[in-house]
Amino acid sequence: MAPLLDVQNLSTSIKLTSSTVHAVDNVSLRVGKGETLGIVGESGCGKSVTGLSIMGLLPPGGAVTGGSIKLNGRELVGLQKEEVRRIRGNQIAMIFQDPLTSLDPTKTIGYQVAEPVRLHRNVSRKAALDRAVEVLGLAGVPQPRERLDNYPHQLSGGLRQRVMIAMALACEPELLIADEPTTALDVTIQAQILALLRDLKERLGMAILLITHDMGVVAGHTDRVCVMYAGQVVETSGVVPLFRETRHPYTRALLASIPRFRQGRENALPAIPGLPPDLSRPPRGCRFAARCFRATEKCRAEEPPLTGPTSAHRYSCWHPLNEPRTLAVSGVDVSGTTGTDLVAPDARSPRTADGIRTSATEHKPETATANGDREGPLLDLRNLVKEYPVGSNAVLRRNAARVKAVSDVSFSMPAGTTFGLVGESGCGKTTIGKMIVALERPDSGSVTFGGVDVAKLRRAELRRERRDLQLVFQDSHSSLDPRMRIGSIIAEPLHAQHWGSRQARRERVFELLAEVGLPKNTVERYPHEFSGGQRQRIGLARALSLNPRLIVLDEPVSALDVSIRAQMLNLMTRLQASHGLTYLVVSHDLTVVRHLADRIGVMYLGKLVEIGSGSDIYERPAHPYTAGLIAAIPLPSPAAEHAKKEPAITGELPSPVHPPSGCRFRTRCRFAQERCAVEEPEPRSFGPGHLAACHFPLRTATPPETTADFAG
Amino acid sequence: MSVLVVIGVSIFVFALLHVIYPSPARDVLGLRAPQMAVDAWNKAHGYDDPAAVQYLRYVKDLLHGNLGYSYIENQSVLALFEGRMARSAYMSGISLALAVLIAIPLGVFQAVKRNSIGDLVVTSTAFTLYSMPVFFLGLLLIQVFALSLPVFSFQASQSTSLLTVIADWHAMTLPIATMTLISVAAFSRYMRSSSMDVLAQDYIRVARAKGLPERLVLLRHLVRNASLPIVTLVGLSLPQLLTGNLITEQLFNYPGLGLLFFDSLKKADYPVLLAYTQAAAILVVAGNLIADIALSIADPRIRLR
Repeated sequence: MAPLLDVQNLSTSIKLTSSTVHAVDNVSLRVGKGETLGIVGESGCGKSVTGLSIMGLLPPGGAVTGGSIKLNGRELVGLQKEEVRRIRGNQIAMIFQDPLTSLDPTKTIGYQVAEPVRLHRNVSRKAALDRAVEVLGLAGVPQPRERLDNYPHQLSGGLRQRVMIAMALACEPELLIADEPTTALDVTIQAQILALLRDLKERLGMAILLITHDMGVVAGHTDRVCVMYAGQVVETSGVVPLFRETRHPYTRALLASIPRFRQGRENALPAIPGLPPDLSRPPRGCRFAARCFRATEKCRAEEPPLTGPTSAHRYSCWHPLNEPRTLAVSGVDVSGTTGTDLVAPDARSPRTADGIRTSATEHKPETATANGDREGPLLDLRNLVKEYPVGSNAVLRRNAARVKAVSDVSFSMPAGTTFGLVGESGCGKTTIGKMIVALERPDSGSVTFGGVDVAKLRRAELRRERRDLQLVFQDSHSSLDPRMRIGSIIAEPLHAQHWGSRQARRERVFELLAEVGLPKNTVERYPHEFSGGQRQRIGLARALSLNPRLIVLDEPVSALDVSIRAQMLNLMTRLQASHGLTYLVVSHDLTVVRHLADRIGVMYLGKLVEIGSGSDIYERPAHPYTAGLIAAIPLPSPAAEHAKKEPAITGELPSPVHPPSGCRFRTRCRFAQERCAVEEPEPRSFGPGHLAACHFPLRTATPPETTADFAG
Repeated sequence: MSVLVVIGVSIFVFALLHVIYPSPARDVLGLRAPQMAVDAWNKAHGYDDPAAVQYLRYVKDLLHGNLGYSYIENQSVLALFEGRMARSAYMSGISLALAVLIAIPLGVFQAVKRNSIGDLVVTSTAFTLYSMPVFFLGLLLIQVFALSLPVFSFQASQSTSLLTVIADWHAMTLPIATMTLISVAAFSRYMRSSSMDVLAQDYIRVARAKGLPERLVLLRHLVRNASLPIVTLVGLSLPQLLTGNLITEQLFNYPGLGLLFFDSLKKADYPVLLAYTQAAAILVVAGNLIADIALSIADPRIRLR
C-alpha cells in the first residue's frame, strides 16, 4: 500500500542576506495512513523546516531545492500556489508550538475555528459554527458552544492548545503536522494534550507527524521515529527498536544526556561536547563527526549513507553501535552504564572536579536532613506571604482582587546544599526566588539569610548583602544587555560593589570565564554572538563574580537543548563543589531538579505541598500532586510510556485570585473528599525530613519526631 | 484624570491671561480714556474682583457655552468660532480620514513587499514629506499645481457656507492634499513597522496553514491587529491637526479657526486666543479619550479591563 505521505530526497534551503542555510538536506520519510511518525532532534536540525516544507509554508527566502513530497501519490513540490492552498488546512493541517501567540487576539474562538471550514467546505456560517462546536468538543474544550464568543486571552494555555487542535481538525485532515505541540505547556497539561492527540488519531484514523525535541514524547506517542541532525536523518526505525537497538552515536548520546530519576549525582551527565555545525557551510563527511567519540578519518571525509540490515531500521554511520542495549523496563536506568563511553575525551576533563564535588556532598543530604540544625541553616524562610493586586482597582488598593502568589511558605536550606523548588507555572516558585534575593519584599514572613532578615534590611545594608545573593535567569537572551560587551557584563557586579582596582577586575573576569569554560577573547564580544548555552554560562559567570554564598537559579536550563543542557548541568554541579555554593533551583522540569537538588519542595498554587530528599519525592511521594506530576513526565522508554494509562492529573490550575478552600489541590485530586474542602491539611511527617500536607496521603504517615513543619 | 488635566490647563491659561491682559477696558474705552473711567468700567464689569472670583466666573461662563467677548471684533467669541469651527473641522476631518485610508493599505503593502523597489520609493517619499515643514509643502504644491500647471486654485474657498466649501474641490484640493500628505507620511511609517511585527506573529502563520489565500490572511488577520498602534496615533494627532490648520489655513487663506487665531494674534485679541488655547487643551484630552475608547473597541484584550 502506498504511504499517505512520501517524502523523497527533500532538500530545502533558506536564503539569508549574507548566506544560504541548507536547513534540510536529502531527507526521505514516509508516513502511512493512521500512523504517527516522530521527527526528533535539537533546535536547528531541520525538523521544523521539514514540516513547513510539506505544508508549503517556508519563511521568506526559503525554498524546496530538490526532491519530492507526495501526498496520496500526488506530487506537492512545484504545485501551483492555489492548489497547495486547497490542501493546506484541508488534507494536511498543522499545529504550532506556542498556543499563546498562535491565535489571533482580535477574533473570537468560534470565528477562528470555523474559518477553515467555511473556506474549504463552502458551507453556511451556521453550519461552520456547528462544526466548530463539534470539533471543540472533540478536542476536549468544555462547554464548546459557550466558548464560541470568547477571545483567546480569556482562555488558559492548555485550552488554547485545544482550540488550536480543534482548528486543525475542523476539515478532517488526513495528516496532522504537530510542531512541538506541548513544549510551551506545563507537564500535567502536556500529558493531557498528548493523550488527546493519541486518542484523536485512533478515533479519526488520522496520521500524525510529531515534531519534538523530547525523547520522552517520542517514546510514548509515536509508531516510528526519524532522528535528525544538522539537516539530515541520521537514524530511522520503529520506536521500540530505536530505544532498544540504538545504532547511531548521536541518538544514543541524545538519550544519555537526559537526566534520569534514579541516576544519582555521583556521575556527571554524559553531555555531547561542542555545538551542532553551521548549516550555511555544512561540513564534509559525517556531520556528527566533530562531536562523536567514534569518529575516524573516514567519518570526516566521506558521508555515510542511510542504510541498515532491514529497510525498517536504517542509520547513517560508518561505525554504528552494534551491541544491543539492555532495556530497562521502566526506562529509568537505561543510561547508567552507557554514559561513560560516549563522551569525547575533551568533555571528560570536568570529571576530576566532579569527583571532588561528589565526595563533598555524598552524605550531605542525609546529614543535613537528619540533624541539619548543627550550625543553623544558611537560608531560612518563615511563613512567607506575597500577594499582588490585580485589575483596575489596583490603584485605589481597596477591594482589589489579589493574586495569592505565595501563601505561607516555610523551608530552610543548610549551606552547601541545593534546594529544588518545582511546580507548574503560576505556583509561586519564581516569586519565592525573587524574595530570597530581595527583588521582591514579602507581605509578611521572613527571609533569614546567614542570620539576617533580608526583607527588613535597609537600602545600604541590602546593597552589601547582595554580594552574597545572586540570581541566574531563565532567558539568557533578555538578561544580558545587548549593547554591552561580555567583559563589562561580567564586571558589572564588581563595579557596582566597588570591588578591587581596574586591573584586578580584569583579572577576575578572565578567571571567571575560565571557570565557566569560555575563551579569553569572549570579553570583547557581544551577547548576540553566542549560543543559548554560552550565554547561560556568561550569566553564571556574572552571578559568580562576587563570590556569593547563595545563587538562585530560575529555570537555568529550560531554554537549552538536551545536549547543551547536560553540559550546563555538569558545569553547575562542578562550580558548586569548587566554591561551596548553595543553590536554590527553581524549575518546572522535575528531571532537572532531581539531578541537581539534595532536597526538593513541591509547590502548588502558592503552597508547599511536599518536601523531602530527591528519593523521597521521586520514589516515595506522599502527596497525590507530587505523584501525578512525576507520572506526567514523559520517560524516554516506549515500554514505560505505553504502560501509562490516563493522564495522572486532569483539569487546569485554578485561579490564584480565588484559590480553592481547604486543600488547594482538591479540585484536581482523585482522592479528594469533603474534608479536603473544609480543612486545610497540616504538614505531616513521612520519614526523616520528608513532609507532606495531605489528608489522604499515598503513604502512611510516621509519627513525627518533632513538630511537623516544612521549615523543620 | 482627563477632567483634572482640563481644569489644570484652564487655571494655567486663565492665570497667563490675567497677568498680561487684566482687563479689556482699554480696548473698549480707547487708549486715551482717563484712569477713573477705566477703574469705573472695571468695577462695573467685575474686573476688579479677586482673581479667584474672576476665574470661577470664567469657568461658569465656559460651562454655559460663553467663551468670552472679543471687544476688538465687537462680537462674542462663540459667534466668531461658530462658522469657522465647522470649516476647520471639515478640512481637518477629511484630511485625517484620507490620511488613514491611504496610510493603512500603504503600510501593509510596504510590509508585505519590504525592501522591494516599491517599498523603497514609498519609504523615501514618506521621509521627504515627513521632514518637510507644512508651509513649505503647501508652497510647493501651489507653485506646481496652481501656478505652473493651473489645475487647482491657490486660494481655498472663501465661502461662509459649508456646503459650498465642500463642493468647491477646485479650491479645496491643495489645502487638503497638504495636510493629508504630511499625515500619511507619519502614519504609513508606523503602519509599516506594526504590520511587519504582526506578519512575524504565529497567528499569521496559522492563518496561512488554514489555507487562507494571502489576500484574506492580510485582510482578516493582519489589518486589524496592525492598526491598533495607529488608533492611538490618530487620537494623539487630533490636536496636531489644529496647529496644522493654523499654517495651512493661513497659507491658503481659508477662513477657519486657524486663520482666526492668526489674525487675533496680530491684533492682540486676547479673549479669542484664550478660547483657542483652551479648545486646544480640551482637544488633546478628548483625542486621548477617543483613542482609548476606540482601542478598547478594536482590541478585545483591553475591553475586559
